[in-house]
Amino acid sequence: MIQEEKNIEIKTDTKTEFSVSFDFKKYAWKQFKKNRVAYFALKILILLVGIAIISPVIATDQPWYCKYKGVSMFPAFSVYNQCQITDKSTGIEETIQYDIADWKHLDAENIIFAPISYSSNKTDYDNAGYVSPFAKQLFKNKEGNETNIPLKFRHWLGTGKAGEDVFSGLVNGTRISLSIGLLSMSIASILGIVLGAMAGYFGDNKLKTSRGSFWTFIVGLVFAYYYGFSVRSYFISDAFSISGFEILVQLLISLLIFTIVVAIFYWLGKFVGKIPFLKQQVNIPVDSIVSRLIEIIISMPLLILIISISAIAKEKSMVNLMIIIGLTAWTGIARLTRAEFLKVSNMEYIQAAKSLGINEFRIIFKHALPNAFAPALVAIAFGVASAILIESSLSFLGIGVPPSTVTWGSLLNLGREQFSAWWLLAFPGFAIFLTVTVYNLLGEGLRDAFDPKLKK
Amino acid sequence: MLKYIFKRVLIFIPTLIVITLVGFIISVNAPGNPVERMISTAESGGEMASQTANQQEQKKYWTEKLGLDLPVFYFSLTSLSRPDTLYKITERNEKEAIDRLISKFGNWSEIHKYNADLNLFFNSLIRFSVDSSEKALYDLNDVTETLNQLKFESLSLKSSYELKEIEAKFKKMEALISKFSFLKKFQVSLDSIQTDFLAIKKTATPWKNYIPKIAFYGFKNQYHRWLFGDGGKYSNGLLRGDFGTSYRRKESISNVISEKIGWSLFFSLLSVVLAYLVSIPIGVKAASKRGSGFDKTSSVILFLLYSIPSFWLATLLLMTFANTDVLHWFPESGVKPAIGYPDGAGFLEKIKISLPYIILPAICYTYSSFAFLSRTMRVSMLEIVGQDYIRTARAKGLSERQVIWKHALRNSLLPIITVFATVFPAAIGGSVILETIFTIPGMGLETVEAIQNNDYPMIIAVLTISGLLTLVGYLISDILYAIVDPRIKYT
Repeated sequence: MIQEEKNIEIKTDTKTEFSVSFDFKKYAWKQFKKNRVAYFALKILILLVGIAIISPVIATDQPWYCKYKGVSMFPAFSVYNQCQITDKSTGIEETIQYDIADWKHLDAENIIFAPISYSSNKTDYDNAGYVSPFAKQLFKNKEGNETNIPLKFRHWLGTGKAGEDVFSGLVNGTRISLSIGLLSMSIASILGIVLGAMAGYFGDNKLKTSRGSFWTFIVGLVFAYYYGFSVRSYFISDAFSISGFEILVQLLISLLIFTIVVAIFYWLGKFVGKIPFLKQQVNIPVDSIVSRLIEIIISMPLLILIISISAIAKEKSMVNLMIIIGLTAWTGIARLTRAEFLKVSNMEYIQAAKSLGINEFRIIFKHALPNAFAPALVAIAFGVASAILIESSLSFLGIGVPPSTVTWGSLLNLGREQFSAWWLLAFPGFAIFLTVTVYNLLGEGLRDAFDPKLKK
Repeated sequence: MLKYIFKRVLIFIPTLIVITLVGFIISVNAPGNPVERMISTAESGGEMASQTANQQEQKKYWTEKLGLDLPVFYFSLTSLSRPDTLYKITERNEKEAIDRLISKFGNWSEIHKYNADLNLFFNSLIRFSVDSSEKALYDLNDVTETLNQLKFESLSLKSSYELKEIEAKFKKMEALISKFSFLKKFQVSLDSIQTDFLAIKKTATPWKNYIPKIAFYGFKNQYHRWLFGDGGKYSNGLLRGDFGTSYRRKESISNVISEKIGWSLFFSLLSVVLAYLVSIPIGVKAASKRGSGFDKTSSVILFLLYSIPSFWLATLLLMTFANTDVLHWFPESGVKPAIGYPDGAGFLEKIKISLPYIILPAICYTYSSFAFLSRTMRVSMLEIVGQDYIRTARAKGLSERQVIWKHALRNSLLPIITVFATVFPAAIGGSVILETIFTIPGMGLETVEAIQNNDYPMIIAVLTISGLLTLVGYLISDILYAIVDPRIKYT
């Protein structure tokens, strides 16, 4: 029954005049919406993503608007980090460095602060030493006297040992947690879906090629590794001590070179495969190779593996962590995609596509994948949850993330030193718990929505 | 059956080799200089500049003992510009500097000459002492200071690869040499080093870097020695249970592990047993009364438990039950009193003393696997309850109790066997965090401390061993599955 439904959906995809009233995506969405808990979780997720996007603006010590000596500034939104101000009466030039200026004590004519007027990586000396959200908080006013803190500068969720604002840390931590989950899972999804699809579709004896092209391809891989990574190894390792962006750029250049070299050798292989002796067909056991690879990765203790890899990285950075998690977390996605492709690859519409002589890779990614994508999506949702958990446990241990970055895990770690500071334990922990639960609920909801067997 | 097991073990071997390779690759790329870590830091006052002959000897000994004078692997993918013998340079910074120079200029023979002259210069500088007749002429402090600076500059020159940096160092050294007339003979060798360096720049052949070459080294390499040992001279090899020496504790890693594994094993076994004891009845009861109040509430609670990060729960428990401000029912950390057990305490008595220490960690170890197991149990039980033979059992008049506990449970236990394999590694990996929070002296805490102290041999040993244990766990559960379920035919 459901097979037919899926087949029909493919026809609608090919944009013929023929249209049917049934659409599997719409059907799944309707099923998902019926699941009230999962739908609620989706709403919370959207809220969290919203917070993550606007977090640098709503939780920062740089004011939204400031008028100082007749000059209007928008530090929180500005791409520049400083502003030259000339005092009209005295002619003295003054430079205001946005990120280090003491805005709260600035003698400004007009100033509007962000709702959370603290940055996560800065400290408030007046309220250092674990100040409770309900306790009396201090503020040094312009005359230099300690007074009760004004409402707009209150630490609503308390402070840490050095005076870190917990609320700001929470809000900015959302961005870090979600982006780690998103980016690492993007890497994992690409790897998992491609490998799983190939393994399931080709199995152990469906991918045949000539001896010549096979060996040319293998040699091509060695060359591609050599030109992509071996020759450029110092560029890449130097990038690790510059910035996360630089790492990404260098890795992308390497990957590009790798792909180009592989493509060249793939093309060469077509000619080599025409030589009589090298013409003989060989089998490529794709399934066995991928299954072994999965077995190897799942038999490594993930946390210890990630810890050891991040221990040898010269510079701690978020990008490192994302890449490591992405490279190790694809196995679940690959297994589910593989299982789905095993089913799909024998269906009539795939047979039909094959008999029409359509390129195999086109069949895999254009025709089969849309129907096999659902289980992968479920695995991705659970994967994001575990990636966030891994990141927060690592920063809880103080491993893997740079010490200047404030994350939920590192906030929780601050609280471990002082159990009486319950706000340092309760709020960040709850944030982690909430996000992980939301993704787990989403995963469950998606699984139920995509699996018509469960429908009563 | 035997054939299946045999086949399974055969597949096991390549996986094992890859796991050792991963561990090895990580350890080779570990930063820092292992030799310097091993040499006792007692005489590290002058650090680099004060390299005595004794230290040189010690260095040589540790280099050989750690196998750092051997090539890394059986073969390596290098470029035409690189010599096969680059591994013989044991100083890490020096090797990197040379390698970077090669990757810039691609002319090994000139770079080799430059490096050899530099080493010659450095060695003669170390052996140099001022004549007693000249000593009287100069301020002694000034002389030693200059010499030390010169030593430092030439040593750091060995690990420099930036052109500007190198040229600046040349100038600085020239200025130092010109300070005293008796240093004149060094000016000659410094000149030759500078001409070497000019030659490198002049005869650069960077194209050689773009031609790949595979160099073979045979069995005398670090990986082979790490795995199989070298006949007992320095190492017995991983396969014979010799994991090397811990940098931090300066003792054999096997000793450290056998000392530390006890508590880790205790907690992971305890958690598995407790989790099974709790989760099977809950899963069965929830499934047999599907849709009831018990099913619904237990589902929600289990789901929430499943999502709670263990480190959060652990800190919350500590905050509430081991806090002098709230409730001080349990001790904060450790597994036994600080003064240790009383003399002559029996095993049972020891457990009784340790019990308050164990309860909180045991909860944290257990709850997540118990939530996971209960959910799995419920699902597999639901599938079984719908089967025909259960209906038959009911039809023949068996009580509901008998149907569920005798007929259904047995079959639904099958998936739980496979779960066993995943629970075990989870216990090992999860213990890193929990052991740190509760300060349990086990493998997890040892690993974290090893990481904080850059004790790479220890980290790699832990990685390899736990990978191995996991593989064995999968193997056993697969075989158990094959034995227990007669419906499955293995070929």
